[in-house]
Amino acid sequence: MRAANRLAAMLRNLLLAAAAIAMAFPFYWMATSALKTNDEIWQFPPTLWPQEALWSNFADAWQAAPFARYMFNSVFVAGTIVVLQILNSGMMAYALTHMRFRLKGAFTALVLVGYMVPATAVYLPGYVILGKLNLLNTYAGLIVSNSVSVFSIFLIRQAFLQVSHELVEAGKVDGASHLRILWTIIAPLTRSSFAVLALIAFIEQYNNYFWPMLITKDPDLQLVSAGLRSFFVEGGAYGLKWPLIMAASAFTIAPLLALFLVGQRTIMRSVDLAAGASKG
Amino acid sequence: MNRFRLGGELKALLFTLPAMVPLTLFWFVPLGYVVYLSFMEWDFMSPDKLFVGLDNYRNLLVDPAFYQALRVTALFCLGSVIPVIVIGLSLALLFNSRMRAGAFYRLLMFSPWVTPTVAVSIVWSWIYEPEVGLANSVLRGIGLDGIRWLQDPQWALVGVLIVTIWKSAGWCMIFYLVALRNIPSDLLEAAELDGAGGWRKLVSVTLPLISPTTFFLVIVQFIQAMQAYDQINVLTQGGPAGSTRTLLYLYYQSAFDAFRIGEASSVAIALIVGCVLLSLVSFFVGRRTVHYS
Repeated sequence: MRAANRLAAMLRNLLLAAAAIAMAFPFYWMATSALKTNDEIWQFPPTLWPQEALWSNFADAWQAAPFARYMFNSVFVAGTIVVLQILNSGMMAYALTHMRFRLKGAFTALVLVGYMVPATAVYLPGYVILGKLNLLNTYAGLIVSNSVSVFSIFLIRQAFLQVSHELVEAGKVDGASHLRILWTIIAPLTRSSFAVLALIAFIEQYNNYFWPMLITKDPDLQLVSAGLRSFFVEGGAYGLKWPLIMAASAFTIAPLLALFLVGQRTIMRSVDLAAGASKG
Repeated sequence: MNRFRLGGELKALLFTLPAMVPLTLFWFVPLGYVVYLSFMEWDFMSPDKLFVGLDNYRNLLVDPAFYQALRVTALFCLGSVIPVIVIGLSLALLFNSRMRAGAFYRLLMFSPWVTPTVAVSIVWSWIYEPEVGLANSVLRGIGLDGIRWLQDPQWALVGVLIVTIWKSAGWCMIFYLVALRNIPSDLLEAAELDGAGGWRKLVSVTLPLISPTTFFLVIVQFIQAMQAYDQINVLTQGGPAGSTRTLLYLYYQSAFDAFRIGEASSVAIALIVGCVLLSLVSFFVGRRTVHYS
């Protein structure tokens, strides 16, 4: 019996290793392609490791397009959006869970509707509305249009529902105002949910492509994804300068992988939370 | 307690304001607006809109491009959701809590999800390169002919699907890992004592107990599939010959390439109706098939 168990364990390990390699291989391929020369990259059959690592490709790609600007835009826009989302989903969730008002049912239903409707379907009229507000092609437009997320509201609402009633009651008895209760009692207890929200929202907004691309034309306002795609079309000549394109893709992806490594525990906890939320 | 009754209504509304204002401006108002626009003919530029009633819808229902988009969307949704769920679950089942390299494997498999879709799509378009790309090199290595991948109407959708599945399988796997970990071990032991083998345990104990997770993942993945844009935009732009033009992409091209706003709006309504129907159907299916412990 023992031998069979060990064989099964070895097989599992092998299959998992194979799957992990398959998942990670495109990243490896990107990194090694970035180090090849233009001649070598077009070789057939392709080499698994560059004959001579051309590290200058990274420098060349970096200078070929304003990537520093794109990254700054992504960080600035995503960061601001995260702060706004934390604030307004915290307040909204508090209102929906700890306050009594006549429109509460209606608002909860409205948020639910927002969940069912695909966001992309309203991009077209949203674009028109942004135009009317004169917010096209502006940082403000990018930020405000993404400042609220139905998913965030749900996540925080879920977290607030778990806070023990006694603590909140104690606060009320002490005469604390709503804002006080939210800030000093509930928020510290649900800190991990907010951390999860921050990380997920930051990643999503940093990578965002479709909506920002629609509402900005100015290349100075492009986020990382749009910037990379412009480079792909212009500087990379749609696939004639693959090493440069791979290098650019690499330093677009690298900060996120780094963020993931640093924040992996929080991200894994987010899945725990979301999985818990999914149980209804 | 009076402090909370007096002006409590107003205070509550103030609390909801920071969320409701953007929600109204960028979600509810546009929703109404797109319904309105679907009854109009407009090209974005001119100040006048022409009221055409149900014409946009009538034209849509006889448009072969619409039906192709429906077909492509159905293929895309089924072709991404089912593999992602199956692969995610299979990988999660392979994990054993006593594995040492487990955390490392988990990291590797989740990493595609963190990265920007545009960037990884660019990498994959290089992998799909027909002459020297990795995909065809592997195929030729095992004796098959190369495929023209993204340039072939038969294979382009498969190519896009592979990227989509690759990006999300790890995400589903993580959710299943959590769900599997929460299965009480005594239930599995009891099944073993009853003489149930591995497969039986899986079907009768594990699958029902993780059905809430399956339900959740299916919905989320379906909605994501309906709205997929980045990878299609980088890899194929809806082509070749519309073979990767989903409903979402048809809507995008009508609105922002062709500037036929009325037509685009009617496609958007079709998209919304599809998603709402999906939510309702899944709600009812969920009630009957999902076991909450």
